[in-house]
Amino acid sequence: MAPRETIGEELLRHGISRRALLKYSAYLATMMALPPMASRAIAEALANARRQSVIWLSFQECTGCTESLTRSFSPTIEDMIFNLISLDYHETLQAVSGAAAEEARLTAMRENKGKYVVVVDGSVSTKDGGVYSTNAGKTNLQVLKETAENALAVISVGTCAAFGGIPHANPNPTGAVPVSDIVTDKPVINISGCPPIAEAMAGTIAYLVTFGKLPDLDALNRPKAFFGDTIHDRCYRRPFYDKGLFAKSFDDEGARKGWCLYEVGCKGPVTYNACATLKWNGGVSFPIQSGHGCLGCSEPNFWDKGGFYRPLSTSTGGGATVIGGAAVAGIGIGVASALISRRRRTDATKEPKS
Amino acid sequence: MSHDGIDLDEFRTGLADSVLREIAEHLAALAGSGATAAIDLRSLPLTNADRSELESRLGRGEVTVKLDVAGTSELWETRYSGVWWVRHFGDGGRIASERIEIAAIPQILVSHDEDIAAAATRVREEVEAHGSA
Repeated sequence: MAPRETIGEELLRHGISRRALLKYSAYLATMMALPPMASRAIAEALANARRQSVIWLSFQECTGCTESLTRSFSPTIEDMIFNLISLDYHETLQAVSGAAAEEARLTAMRENKGKYVVVVDGSVSTKDGGVYSTNAGKTNLQVLKETAENALAVISVGTCAAFGGIPHANPNPTGAVPVSDIVTDKPVINISGCPPIAEAMAGTIAYLVTFGKLPDLDALNRPKAFFGDTIHDRCYRRPFYDKGLFAKSFDDEGARKGWCLYEVGCKGPVTYNACATLKWNGGVSFPIQSGHGCLGCSEPNFWDKGGFYRPLSTSTGGGATVIGGAAVAGIGIGVASALISRRRRTDATKEPKS
Repeated sequence: MSHDGIDLDEFRTGLADSVLREIAEHLAALAGSGATAAIDLRSLPLTNADRSELESRLGRGEVTVKLDVAGTSELWETRYSGVWWVRHFGDGGRIASERIEIAAIPQILVSHDEDIAAAATRVREEVEAHGSA
């Protein structure tokens, strides 16, 4: 196979100036909390890199993660990610179907052996050999094992792929497990959220392309740039929490004045994500700004924690304590080794007590 | 933007003062040694009021530039020479990246060597095509 063009060469061929890369680099530096003066070096690195082959596998999922990443309707800075990667297989987005689609996946795996990145959204069914979720005559379990074998790294996007998510919730009829339960011999990055924030997905992939290494990860293998702080830490309602001013119901005086939603079940204090800073829908708002507490969707077992409207101070079966403890420990540990973080993740994702 | 009694447009944290002090130090360094610097405003918990205050105190100078590459961008030199406000817009017109650059000219405005070389080829082709018509 002829070597792929560099990203710089390809942009040049399409008449896109180097300014586009400089602009994206500034955006990437902002997203990944890199020094602002690093933009020029990032742009040079990107210009000389080759497009990253990406194989996207969709398992037990709702396609919300793909919707989040591709929600843009006009050419924008966010779309630049698609100039940095070669999306060689994506069931929802690719034009081909059937045998030709599967051949595209196998070709990409063959031609980029050891260098391609596998992105997975959705959990993996394991019960009865994984027969509850199949595609092209193969179970998700088979396809994941086959595709991940010669991958550079695996990125689990969404809480289903990262922690099992809703398919994993009680009573978990399909035996759903996170990707990291299956792929144990190579790096697995978790970009959790239901769905995850588009910038977290794109920023992590762009970081991989630029630097050829994994970004700093927390104890649950999530990029610290996006999961380093709790929603609560960055919430604009935090001053009300500090003053002890809480909404007691969704229609009382406190709610109308925008006080803290802790007592109506907000999970912000134990939820690590960037919703409060990056926000949603083009930066318009995020759940707390819209008057509803955080559900904690980027944390393991968020669906089984005893009720979205129960305050954290009431018992949630021990889950909140485990997660908060694991995540706080992660900050101190820094880039955890795969084994340590996998063990912590296993603790955090254990079946909730009923 | 007002939400249930909290007016995020009016709430000042004092961060504008801190950023101005940092700019002053960087500008002195630029004047003295030519050292360039940048401050990523998106990494700071600025409220809309803080951003407005900073923008107002820095003011606008003689140069304003609009870029149209990978979406739109707006740059202007503030009333302090060498202090540039660089704002890149993303999807839906939201601010995707916003920084203060302390430099003679922001890097993104400088034509890149490879773009110049490609443009030289293109313009030669244009001249030749016109000459043979």
